[in-house]
Amino acid sequence: MHYATCVIWGVDMKIAPDGNLPIYRQIAQWLENEILSGNIETDEKVYSQYQLAQMFNINPATAAKGLNILADADVLYKKRGLGMFVSPQARDMIARKRRDEVLQQMVDNLVREAGRLDVGEGELLAMVRAAIKGEVKNR
Amino acid sequence: MNVVESKGLSKQFRNVGAVNELSFALNGKKITGLIGPNGAGKTTLLKLMAGFLRPTAGEILVFGETPFNNLKVSSNLVFIDDNMTFPASLSIAEILSAASEFYPNWDEKFALRLFDYFELNPNQRHLGLSKGMKSTFNMIIGIAARCPLTIFDEPTTGMDTAVRKDFYRAVLNDYLQHPRTIVFSSHMLGEIENFLEDVLLLKDGSKRLHLPVEGLKEYALGLRGEADTIARFADGKEVLHRERFGGQNLYTVIENNLGDADIQAAKAAGLEVLPVSTADLCVYLTSKGKGGIDDVFQRE
Repeated sequence: MHYATCVIWGVDMKIAPDGNLPIYRQIAQWLENEILSGNIETDEKVYSQYQLAQMFNINPATAAKGLNILADADVLYKKRGLGMFVSPQARDMIARKRRDEVLQQMVDNLVREAGRLDVGEGELLAMVRAAIKGEVKNR
Repeated sequence: MNVVESKGLSKQFRNVGAVNELSFALNGKKITGLIGPNGAGKTTLLKLMAGFLRPTAGEILVFGETPFNNLKVSSNLVFIDDNMTFPASLSIAEILSAASEFYPNWDEKFALRLFDYFELNPNQRHLGLSKGMKSTFNMIIGIAARCPLTIFDEPTTGMDTAVRKDFYRAVLNDYLQHPRTIVFSSHMLGEIENFLEDVLLLKDGSKRLHLPVEGLKEYALGLRGEADTIARFADGKEVLHRERFGGQNLYTVIENNLGDADIQAAKAAGLEVLPVSTADLCVYLTSKGKGGIDDVFQRE
């Protein structure tokens, strides 16, 4: 996969222009990551559609769509004439949504692939446990 | 008010129809990509828009007026293509400074900064420029003119990858600071899709699709796998493209109105569900239904 990288204001960002996700979803996801990692805090103003357009080299309407899906999900709130801000419940909402949607889908895919490879339940669970142990050790 | 509006617009050259009963409207300060295969009528449409050609039938309005022979329209638009001719006696630096006389919003400093950045030789004549350099110079005129309607017809002919990238970014940056209506025809949808807002897709001189580029990205889905399984999921859907893939397998592109549950079910049934790039989709949507290039190689 080819990544476009741009570095502005000391922030290193990547989007995959030919990735599977539409760009506005990638923008939403990137903003979610910024909120999860604490780079943008509660009640702090997020980037405007024009800033995002310049940062990611995309049309401002696409950037606005990325902002709007977060506003529709109440991750961001709008202040008239001032822009969009991170809502107090944003981090919890993002974490919950990622667990429900992303993690669940990854698990589904994992189970399906295991089925294709004739990896039994016990074996798969053992692999997951080993991976968790490895992760803990690395920390 | 619509910046551009056409109703039943047709243009024929002798007996050949280049644009056929085309109706569409461009409104707001958007960047629209005009896409279509060779001979779809892109250039003819842009020339009708610019008032270089007079319609055979139907009408086209730009800023609410007929563009042909119209001073208001022509002073508010700039049309950039690779056939632009400039006085042969002037150097390109002289052309650049003369351009300020023609365009009320002309930004001289900006034009000179672009001129320096792209390392054009001020003493050169326009005729002596290489293909890529000519395109670069024309592009500078197109951006610095800051016309309310800016038309680029295949502006990147001959430009190398680095210059094309800079050009797209320059257009986007300047558009962010000075929003205006920009129409951009190109074969390289994959390269420009991120900076477009809307796409107008032409086929045989008529409108095939006109929608936001994000809608185009989610317009279709590719299914790859066993023919029978695909038939089950593609049932009742518009099939945009179909090709054989290995022995019994098919790759089928269908209109994307599958829900998440359908997609999960398709995956569970062993199908690969693949996104379809906008460039490929436009090829499928405008194909003549002759099958693919592979068919040429089929032995009898």
